[in-house]
Amino acid sequence: MAAKQIDLSALNIQQLQQLSQQIDQEIEFFTSSLSQLKMAQQKFVESQDCLGRISPETDGKDVLVPLTSSMYVPGKLSDVSNVLVDIGTGYYVEQEVENAKQYFQRKVDYLTKQMEKLQPILQDKYRTKQAVMEVLQLRVQAQLAAQQQSYAAAAQTGAAKS
Amino acid sequence: MAEGLQKRLQGELEKYQAVQKDYQKYVSARQQLDAQLNENSLVKEELDRLSDGSNVYKMIGPVLVKQDLGEAKQTVQKRIDYISGEIKRHENTIKDLEKKQETHRDNLNKIQHQFQQAQVKAAARA
Repeated sequence: MAAKQIDLSALNIQQLQQLSQQIDQEIEFFTSSLSQLKMAQQKFVESQDCLGRISPETDGKDVLVPLTSSMYVPGKLSDVSNVLVDIGTGYYVEQEVENAKQYFQRKVDYLTKQMEKLQPILQDKYRTKQAVMEVLQLRVQAQLAAQQQSYAAAAQTGAAKS
Repeated sequence: MAEGLQKRLQGELEKYQAVQKDYQKYVSARQQLDAQLNENSLVKEELDRLSDGSNVYKMIGPVLVKQDLGEAKQTVQKRIDYISGEIKRHENTIKDLEKKQETHRDNLNKIQHQFQQAQVKAAARA
């Protein structure tokens, strides 16, 4: 992020409006990134929970395997110590349950860190937005007042002539 | 005179817009490469954690094909290198395009200025 300092009071109304729109867009972008990160994290947490259900006692138990969302075939758990984990870009790794759990924990931690990085940026954006809005409002009010004054002055000169 | 200027203005504007389009294309490609690089580095990190005898599979279409761990590591490393190279290439192109954009913008401003002056002159004569 470029640390450029802009003097808000040096901008005119149009520039301020543009700036506030830009900040709005940035806020939207960061908010959607944040929710995407949360969704991804949720998936990892779910997988981790599922691993928690697999234990040595479940070995050989009956399961129903979904072939489609509405059709199942019966099966038996044959291996409860290893699972296949998708680590991205099409690679799957056979891991012990304990390692897989650690894998998901790492992923969850990683995402938490990313979210923690994003949060202050978002807050900063909100603050900037507020500052811009305040200056913008002052500007608009000042302009309105100036307009009224010039009207009043014009009315007075008009009255003086007649 | 004014007509020629207008043609030049139009031509320059079209060129500027073409460059702008190119620029946007490269910027978004660059972002995509960044995402890919990120994903591949995460995969590499995971592969590096594995012990030597681990079973690694590669998804090819709908099938999982068993792969050698060392081979998988090499492939991912190669991909990371390739993507890094691509990112550098894109960055250079983006810089070039930025410069091009600037010169086009300057030209545009100049022509626009001339055009306005010509118009003012024409108005004064009329």
